[in-house]
This record gives sequence, C-alpha cells and structure tokens, in this order.
Amino acid sequence: MTARTTLSRGSEAGPAPADPEQAWQPYQPGDGRPWNLALAAHLLRRAGFGASHARLQQAFAAGPQRTIDVLLRPEADAAAFDRAFDEHEAAAADAGGEHALRGWWLRRMLETPHPLQEKTTLFWLGHVAADGSRAGSARLLQEHVRLLRSQALGDTRILLASLLRDPATLLGHGAEQSHRSRPNERLARHLLENVTLGPGAFSQEDVQEAARALTGGFVRDGRYAFVAREHDAGVKRILGRQGSFAGDDLIDVLLEQPATAERLAQKLCRWLIADEDEPERALIAPLAAAFAHEHDFGKLVETVLRSNLFFSARAYRRKVKSPIEYALGLVIALEGVVSTTELAKDLAALGQELFRPPAAKGWAGGRRWIDEATLARRHNLAADLLRGAGRYGDRLDPHQVARRHGCEREDSAARFLVDLLLQGDRDLDAGALLQAVHGTSGGPAAAARALARALARFPEYQLA
Amino acid sequence: MKLRDVLFLASLLLLCPRPAGAQEEVRAPAASWIPEDAVFALEILRPAPLLEMLCGEKATALVTSLPAYRRNEETKEFQDFLGLVKLLEADLETDWRSALARLTSGGFSFALCPGGAALLIVDGSDADMLQSLHGVLLGIARAEAEKQGKAERVSSSEHAGVTCWTFDDKGAHALIGTRLVLASSQEALRAALELQAGDAGASLATVPAFQAARLAALQDAAACLYLDLARLGRAPRVQRALEENRRNPLAALLLSGMAEALRQSSWLAGALRIEQDALVLEATLNEIERDPQGPAAFALPAAPGDGALPHLALPRRVAAISLYRDLARFYAAKDDLFPERTSELIFFENMMGIFFTGRELTGEVLAQARPAMRLVVAEQEYDLAIGTPLVQLPAFAAVLELDEPEEFAEVIEEAWQKALGLINFTRGQQALPGLIIDRVTHGDTRMTVAYFSSAGAEDRARLHQRFNFRPALALRGDHLILSSSEGLARDILDALDQDARQAPLAGADTLIELDGGQLASLLEANHATLVRQNMIEKGHTMEEAEAEVSTFIALARLVDRLELCAGSLQGATRFRAAARLNVEAPAR
Amino acid sequence: MPTSRRHFLKASLGASALASFASGVPGFLARALAAAQRAQERDTVLVVVQLTGGNDGLNTVVPFTDDVYGRSRSTLRLPAATLHRISADLGFHPDMKEFRGLFDEELLSIVQGVGYPRQDRDHDGAMRAWHTADCEARGAPGGWLGRAADLAWNVDGPGVPAAFVGSIPRPFGLSAEATVVPALRSLEELVLREAQEHGSSPSDNPLLEHVRAVDRRARSNSLRLEPLARQDSGAAGYPSFSLAQDLHQAARLIEADIGVRIIYCELGGGGIGGFDNHANQLGNHCALLRQLAESVAAFMRDLRRIGALPRVLLMTFSEFGRTVSENGRRGTGHGEAAPLFLVGGGLKGGLAGPHPSLTDLVDDAPKHHTDFRRVYATVLEKWLGFDARAVLGEEFAPLDLLRP
Repeated sequence: MTARTTLSRGSEAGPAPADPEQAWQPYQPGDGRPWNLALAAHLLRRAGFGASHARLQQAFAAGPQRTIDVLLRPEADAAAFDRAFDEHEAAAADAGGEHALRGWWLRRMLETPHPLQEKTTLFWLGHVAADGSRAGSARLLQEHVRLLRSQALGDTRILLASLLRDPATLLGHGAEQSHRSRPNERLARHLLENVTLGPGAFSQEDVQEAARALTGGFVRDGRYAFVAREHDAGVKRILGRQGSFAGDDLIDVLLEQPATAERLAQKLCRWLIADEDEPERALIAPLAAAFAHEHDFGKLVETVLRSNLFFSARAYRRKVKSPIEYALGLVIALEGVVSTTELAKDLAALGQELFRPPAAKGWAGGRRWIDEATLARRHNLAADLLRGAGRYGDRLDPHQVARRHGCEREDSAARFLVDLLLQGDRDLDAGALLQAVHGTSGGPAAAARALARALARFPEYQLA
Repeated sequence: MKLRDVLFLASLLLLCPRPAGAQEEVRAPAASWIPEDAVFALEILRPAPLLEMLCGEKATALVTSLPAYRRNEETKEFQDFLGLVKLLEADLETDWRSALARLTSGGFSFALCPGGAALLIVDGSDADMLQSLHGVLLGIARAEAEKQGKAERVSSSEHAGVTCWTFDDKGAHALIGTRLVLASSQEALRAALELQAGDAGASLATVPAFQAARLAALQDAAACLYLDLARLGRAPRVQRALEENRRNPLAALLLSGMAEALRQSSWLAGALRIEQDALVLEATLNEIERDPQGPAAFALPAAPGDGALPHLALPRRVAAISLYRDLARFYAAKDDLFPERTSELIFFENMMGIFFTGRELTGEVLAQARPAMRLVVAEQEYDLAIGTPLVQLPAFAAVLELDEPEEFAEVIEEAWQKALGLINFTRGQQALPGLIIDRVTHGDTRMTVAYFSSAGAEDRARLHQRFNFRPALALRGDHLILSSSEGLARDILDALDQDARQAPLAGADTLIELDGGQLASLLEANHATLVRQNMIEKGHTMEEAEAEVSTFIALARLVDRLELCAGSLQGATRFRAAARLNVEAPAR
Repeated sequence: MPTSRRHFLKASLGASALASFASGVPGFLARALAAAQRAQERDTVLVVVQLTGGNDGLNTVVPFTDDVYGRSRSTLRLPAATLHRISADLGFHPDMKEFRGLFDEELLSIVQGVGYPRQDRDHDGAMRAWHTADCEARGAPGGWLGRAADLAWNVDGPGVPAAFVGSIPRPFGLSAEATVVPALRSLEELVLREAQEHGSSPSDNPLLEHVRAVDRRARSNSLRLEPLARQDSGAAGYPSFSLAQDLHQAARLIEADIGVRIIYCELGGGGIGGFDNHANQLGNHCALLRQLAESVAAFMRDLRRIGALPRVLLMTFSEFGRTVSENGRRGTGHGEAAPLFLVGGGLKGGLAGPHPSLTDLVDDAPKHHTDFRRVYATVLEKWLGFDARAVLGEEFAPLDLLRP
C-alpha cells in the first residue's frame, strides 16, 4: 500500500484545538497535522460504514475537504439507487415483514452511493426511537425510514412536523389516539424530553399543553387521520408562548428554544466525534446558533465533519463501533456482500436490532456496546463471516481482495490487510501475526481469512 | 445442491487413483473388505443404467442447459476442470463417459463405520486404465503439493502387501487390480486391507443382518443399501433427533409411526431400481410385529384392508398427502408422544374447547374423524375481478370422513363460524380488516365461505397476502372439507363426485405425491419475490439470485412426479419412494 | 483456571475500588460505580423461572380440606390421598413429589396469596405488570431485572450482570436501557472459537482501555465456560425437558462464576403460555408441574454437587392464578392471587402467609394479601444486595424469608 509511509503510529490525529472558533474551522492538513490514510479511514467510518481499499485511496488522494464534498453530494445517482431500493423494500416488507425489511436496509447501507445520508438516517432512527413492535406492519416502518431519510440531511423543521403525521412514530410511542377530552401525553412528553429540549428544560404543564396541540391525530387502518372535531383548537401556553397551536406550531415553538438546538448539536457531536468527553457548552454554542437559524441538519453535519475538532485526537478512535459499524465495516472493506437477514439476527444479539430501540432514549451505545458477552459474540460473528463456509458462505475472500490490489504474496497480502483494517493504529509485524494466527495447512486463502479474523478481534478494531 | 459439488464428485470418481501391480481378478465381494461394524453400506451393483440415467446424453444436455451451469461455465475453476477432463481423455485415449463406465463396471460399495470412518470400493474392468489415471492424478497432486511447499503430503507406504497412497495426509487409497479402495483415513484403509488379507476379524459379509438385508433387497436392484439400525439408534445424535420429534405434535402425528418402526427394527434394507424414467427406492424394515397397543399404534391400520386412501385427482395440484391416522388414539397418547406442553398446544386445546363448546376433545371431537384423511396443496387461480396477490401462496385443504355426519354437521359448522368470528374479533382489535361470511352452493352442496373485501384496493396486481385466503367449509355425505380457498373446496367436491368411493390401499399409512411441474409453476409465479428473498438471504447480486432461482425452478420441473408410500405392505414395514424424472423438460 | 472472581472480590473489594480510579473518570461513571459497588459485594445469584400462562395455584398447593375447593372443582379436584401433604390442610400436586422433598429439607419456601392491587386479568397486561413491577403504569423504563442489571453494571466489570437462558424471545422483564442482556440458548455462544493475546502499550484512550479490559475478561470467561458448556445434562442427572436443559445451562453459568447475578428461565413455551388451561386442564397441568418439580430438583442436586447451593436462590412466578370454579370446559379462567416458590440454600423454608380464603373472593378468584413487589424487594435487597428502591421506584417492605 503506497500510503504506508505517511503513517506514523500514535500521531494519526493532531491535538485538540483550544478555542471554539478554531475548533469548527475547516481542517486544512499541514505541519504537525498531516492528512494520512488513518484520517481518511476515520472520516469514512464516521460519515458512513467504512471503506474499501479503493475508496480509502481515493479519499487519501482527494484530501479531506474534497472528500467531504463528495460525501455530501455524491457523484453517483443516489436518487435512482434510492428509488430502486424503495421498491425492493416495499415488496420485501409486504412479503417477508420486518425481518426482510431489516435485511434490505442493511443491504442498502452496504451498497448505497450516499453513505452519509444512510448513516444520518440511522442517527434519526435512534433519536426518534419509535418502538417498531407496535407498528403492526413492516410497510409503516419502511415509510418511517423513508421519511427519516428524506430529511436526514435536510430541514429538521419539516422532519419533525412530518413525524407528527407518521403512523409508525405515533404507533411506536403509543399515540395512535389523541382525543380532545383525553389528550395523549406520551408523544408530547417524548418530543420535549428526548427529541427536542431535553430533561429539565420544561414543566409538566408544558407537556400537557403540548399534548393539547396534538389532539385530533389518529392512526386508522395504517394511515394518519386528522379528526378536526377531536382537535382542541383553544389557546395553549407552551414554554412561555401563547396561541391556538396545532402540531406544526408546536414544532416551531420547540425549535425556537435554544435548548433544542444545543441538544441536537450536542447529540450530533456524540454521534460524529466522541462517545464520552462531551464538548463544553461554549464549544457547542456556535454550532447551535447556526442550527437555530436555519434548522439545516445537513449544514450542521457538514460543519462538524469539516472541522479541526473532527480530525483531532479528541475524535480519533474515541467512539466504540456500533454492531452495525463493526459488521458492515468488515464486509465493505473486504468488498463483499453477505446475507443481511443472517446479519440482522446477529446484530440483534449484539444489542442493535433495527426498529427495536431498547428505550425511548434510543440505543445507549458508547462503551455499553461492549461487554464480555457482546465482545465474545462480535468475535464469533467475525469468525462466521470469515469462515469461508457455513451461514455466510464464502462471500468474503480477503486473499482475493489482496490479489485484486496487487498483493499476491502471503506477506504482502498480510501487510495489505493490516493497512486495510487497522491502518497505522498498531505497529504490527504482519508476517509474525500471520504466523501466530495461522497454522501450516490450508493455503493462502485460509491464511488470509485467519488473519482478517484476528485483526477484527483487536481492541483497536472495536473503536470507530 | 451446488453444481460445482456435483462436478467435483463426478471428477473424483473419474480421477480415482489406481492400484499398482496386481493384475489378477479381484474375486472377493466388496462387502468382505468392509468391517462388520459398518452402520451404513450402499452397494451399486449395476452402475451402467444408473450412469446412463445420470450422465447420459439426455441428462448431460439437461444439466448443461441449467442457468447455474452456464454461469459456472465461465469461471476459471470450471475451465480448469474441463481442461483436466480433456487432458485425461487424451491420456486414456477415450471419452469420459466410456472411461467412467469401464472404471466402474463392477460396481461401487460405500460404507460408514462408527466414529465416522468411510470406505469406498470401486470395481472396474480395466486395470491398465485405472493405473494410468492414477499416474496422471499422482503427477497433478505432486505438482500441487510442491507448489505449496508441502511435497511430503503426497506419499505412499506398504501395508498387507499393497501400496497405500495419500495425497493430502487425510484420505488414503489403494489400487488392487481393477479395484480401487478409497478411505477417509489411513487407518480405515489399513483395516480394509487387513480384512482382505484375512488377518483381521469378521467382515460385513458375514453379518447375518446384512445377509438378510441383501436378500430382502430384490434381485433386480441396481443398488442396495443396508443400515444397522440397532447400532445407529445408540448414536447420541440420532437419539437427539428422535427426541426433537417429541417436542412437536405435528411431527409426531406424521412421523411417530415410522419412528417407532425404526426404533424396533434392527436393520433396514433398501433396493434402488430403474423403471423407465423413474428412480425407485424401496426400503424394508426387518421389524418384528408393530405393537397394536403401543403409543404409535394410531398410525397402524386396524383391520385387514384398512389403509390410506388413494389421492384425489385435482387441477393444479402441487402435493397430496393421504394418511391413515387415528386422531383420537393419537391425542390420547400425547403424554408418551410429545410430553412437552408448548404454548401452541395449550392454545389449540383452549380454542377447541371454545369452538366445540366444552366437548371432550379426544373422545367427543377427534373420535368423529375416521382414520383415513387426505390433505392437498394446489396452486390457485385468482379471480381477476378481485386481483392477484403480490405473494401467491398455494391453497391447502383437508378432506376428512366423519363417523356420524348427521349428528356432527351442525356442531362442526358452529365451531367453524366461531373460529371465523374469533379471527375477526382479534383482527378488529388490531384494526385489521376482517372476513365476511357467506353461504354459497356448489351443485347441491352448501358451503360456508369467508372472504376479505377488496374494495378500495389500490394495485390489483399486488394485493396483500390475505387475498390468498378465502376459507371454506363444506360437508357432503360423510366428507368434511376444510379449505383455505373456495376454489380448491369446489375442485375437491368435483373430484369426490368423480371417483366416488375408492378402496383404500391396504396397509399403507402414508402416501405422498409431489408434482414437480406444478411446483415449478407456483415458484415461477413468485419469481420476483424469490429473487428478492435470495438476494438478502444469501447476499447474492440480482443476477446471481436470478440464476439460482431459475435453476431451482428447472430442477423442480425435472422431477415430473415424486411418490412416497409407507406402511405395512406385503407383510413387512416398507417405504417406497419413486421419482419420475422429466428428462425431456426444456430448461429455461 | 484463573483465581475465581469471588476470591478476587473478597480480597479486593472494600474502599479500594473507587479510590483506584484515576481522577479523570467522567462523573457519570463514578456515579455508576458507586451504585454498582454495593451490588458487587456479594456473589449471590437469583434464578427466575417464569411460568407462562397463569398457573392454577389451587391445584399446585392444594387446600384439600376446604369444602369450597371440593365443590368448585368437579373434574379438576385432586384426590386428597394422591397429594404430597405439607400440613394438615395443604398438599402439593401429585406430580410434585420433589417439591415436597425440598420443602422437608427447608430448601423451599411457599409465599402464599401473592398478587397486586387492581390485578389485570389480561395476559399481556398482567405479564407487563410482573415484568415492569410498574403496576400503576408510571412509565418506568424497561423491565425490573433490566433496571437491576443497569444498576449493577460496573465500568470496572464484570459487565454481564444478567442473562436469559432459553429458546423463546427474551422476556421483557430483562429489558434494560443500556445493558445488553444476552439471550442464550447455549453457553457455547459465549465461548470464543479463536482468541489471541494483544500485546499492548498503555493508552490515554479510556475507550481503548475499556475494550482491552473486557477483552481480557471475555477470554478468561471463555476458558472457564468451554469445558462446562460441553457437559452432558443427562449425565448430570437432568431429565430431558426444555426447562431442565435450560437450568442445566444456568448451573454451568453459575459454576463458571463469571459475575452473572441474575438468570432467567421459562416454562410454558412463551406466547400465551402452557399454563393457560381454559380446557382439558388436568392432564396438561400435571405434565407441566411434573416438569417444573423434576427440573428444579435436578438443578438443586446439581448446585449442591458443585457447592453453589448456598449462593443460589430460585424464584418462580406466573402472571396470575386462576378462578376457583371450573368453566364448563374442564378448565379454569384467569384469576388473581397465587403462591410463588422460592428454592435454594439460603431460605428459612416453610410457608409464608396464610392460604387465601376461598369464601372471600374477587370475581371467583382468591384475593392477594402479599404484593409481589415485596417479594421482589426481598430478593433484590436481601438476597442480591441491590438497592431495591432504585429498581422498584418506591419502598416495599421485604419479607422475612431468608436466613441471616
């Protein structure tokens, strides 16, 4: 791998910038903060689901800002891809239900020309945290994800207002009926506590008044219905504002609150930059201010991705890979496509079952992804994916991938795989590692699989 | 099954190593080379007609026309394989079919012993050809081993006066005249050679059960098979599989009779014959008497002349199952047959309690059904005015005979309508559309039919799956028909008119028939759905998925008809399977 | 085999655990650690066995001298002579001989008349109440054992405080907000098929240090589990029922001693459940109670053999009892109060609370006198050493069931 020389262990990323203004300035490679393969891989892990050798090289050659341009606005026809997959998903949801739908969504994540959009859709899925078991129909879940995808990098005001009319969201939060005489407070509370303001930024009265604004919303026969006579058109008083608010107005009121912008910016930083070590308020302030102005989530994502902070040591390997990132990253790096229905089952055992968030707060994530049981299962999943037989068949063939990129010999193939999966994070002697994990029999294909399995077991590999 | 695997097996046979030296005829039958503790033995006595059927011109044309074959054809591995075959053909100065015929003309014997040791003995008629084939393969194996820097993997040693070869330090083989012996390990090979040299204990040929089994397999068999059930039954994995069967009432209903017969027998003998284009396997158990009081006696035809009824002739029939099962006896023996009390079983009992207003399930409900019962599965024709579901499921129906149809007709009608009502209530609670109950007539038979309204359906070419169901109940004479679709219920009424009352097949307890062409048609109707499913379940591209689904459909079409029959036939417990192959079928 | 976790605990737990943490520990971790520390000081294990469907308490612990029982159960009445008597007027079901044995050895306590106020007689609603311990639907997150697992989780490990062993989907009682509670069919799932040492230099990345520590523990757990996971349940004296197989796995998990404090098993097959006998109850109920009694007895024998009996407590529960009267279909309807069983080495044994009256009924079912959350509080606080109030959301007085 040509870029090998640009790596030096322990200095993959520069030090964290000190002041907020500098933190959000676009990162420009330079002395002491060189652009290298490790940072390219970092970007592609966070903004998507990992990368193949070719994508990695492309990003390395193009530099950070140009790569981010393409991540935000892919050259390939993403709309046509999405249309084709929408059709697959709709048919699969009808025929095979939720499990088939999960299979297709994972397949989409593997093959999408617009990984940032898909990754951000996943962010919103966890943020909205609708309980899919209450939807009753996989088609509604598919529509839910389609809605999240449509505004994942778009206008958050439109997204939140649309969610109030989205059957899966209402059903998923037990809000399929909201009568004027008995306003349903569940969705209102969830909206204030988890989706916008955050705990402590509102009162019980605000919840009650917000629930009044949402009266008249029903889900009937899988469709949203607004029943005017069940809507309470009276004056509500929410967070100090007063008016005869309905759903859309409620979203406006919530988005006006600085707490909402701060919270979304904070949560996005956790999603893109670091699991722990929360950014201070002063650091978040410029981001929140910009978002409060336009409600443009795409812009928010763009600012974070381009920033000095994102490419600093405060971000590098400071997130634990979610099960999806772990498994898809491996599959994408090895240029294969595997059974995504099988994968969906394994991911559920690892704690990340799509449409089944464990709580209204979504997936806890971070270091909670890793315990003795889930780590053992991660290792065993990698072993299954790379066994060359069994449930996942021989769809992943690291030896062939190495050959395709000109690494024919066993030692160069080993070096290739170390660079592909771990970049410079570990100063590994690839040849010695190969000897250690692989016996004497089985040929080069089996040796390469054994090595890839071993690399996927490294603690560093569990980090995004 | 993967085509590559088939080809690999075929090549393995072709490439079998050949014995050095000895030119004299091998006289001892293969069984005398097999250890006496063999659990399974398969002897192909007359390979020629089998080879003709499986590798003949017609079969080859068919295989090569399969989409999966055509896809594989382009791969490098496959081209390498064809190259090897060509090389061998040139070397042996013949074509592969003739070579295969000459190398195997004396038959194959395959045996499995406890601990997993396997032995394959192939008898040919051309020792020289065997030798030169071995020579070529030895050369290839050596070259390959050297390339990997493991030349020592190809080696030979002397044992009992014979040269034993190994190419990969796992399997081993030896050539003795026209005989080739392949073993899964060097130890297994040595054991066989010691037996032939007379140095070791008894061989399978001396085992009385094996001799009896050979006799039981009919004279004209192309192949015969022997299973030591006594030994097999002691294997933990087999015991576990039998135990699993005890958790599932439906599996117990279908299989307990056969499982019981297998448990009581000490051996199974099978004979494979070729009748025109059909491959027929007949298996016989030595089983002593089946216990008429035992828990599995519910599947034992009670009186002479009793047995399962012949299948009904129906349009678009995919599968037919005709059983002889005494449901009341079956259910009464549930503590022995399936001791686990699963949620589903209790739910079933609760529902039956409601539907049949507290009648006692075993004595007052199930006892009404006579033991001869038939189940059918058929492809559906959809009413174009309603539309076609996106996923087309087959219709299925049960045809039972009642003991006291007069007294029971209204009881069953009431139960049926309660069931529909309960389904509607439950669906209503979940805000799902319900069934509309209708009474219709077919000839002079009144039926209760229930259907979903299709008003407001948006796309009539891809309706929801529920439109596969139009459940119907019909009673005519002592026949009770429960069908998932109205159309199939009507077809069954017509079929009952036509074949009036057929005599049962005496002694048979299970008859199954599968129509490959109709199955292919059903699969074809769901082609797009199957391709989508294949893509996510196997990680295939759309092209790969299409090739696999098309191959599967072509294979279904290849089996014109599959017939299974089991029961006490001609004085013994027998099992007969016949596959009629449709070798003329045009592969897509 | 490495020194067992228990020895380590006994040696090192005390004031040192918190202090050993660097000052840079994030606040939430320090808080979590403080909450978890108390739970870590013990090595007791709770095994919960869910009897799905609503067990008929009256035909489990039978008040055979009560006229109302005799009159109300025309087809389901169990003849007094067939019962395994434990007092002048109570006896175990004829198929529960083993429970009588455990009772005599003071390894089994019966808590009678357990239920909760305004009992929901719908399966889903009642099961939800038992799973969440939130009978007033205040919106407590997840299940009660899931919350207990979240509280017990400790950044310093062990990180798998609870597990489900069985083949149905994991019951909601184990749903946690942050902890991934595993559902295991077999312990093989936690055995690493391959493993390696990752030599490493210290890192300033706390996440990396976390993964490294978990990785070391996962490998050491795997070494302990591997020989145990392969053990044959038949040889260990277990019958072939599913529950017995699951309890055999549970015993191996306890034997491996990897820090799992809560194990959950199920009898009845999930869904609505095998105990929901609205029709033909007699034979089905016999079969289930026999499976329960024989499986639990085999489990206790096994625990005694491996020396774990003193630190394991098994608790059964079912979402409700059944009606006193039959329903005309040789079955019974959904009721309210029922007895639950505690089995293990740390019990006082005997009967707790009186048998509920069969004349003072609510809609044909016995009334409860003991809120199930008092039993929960007992096992959480007194047995596991957890903060029961934090788990249950309010204070419930524990019962006096355990030996000091």
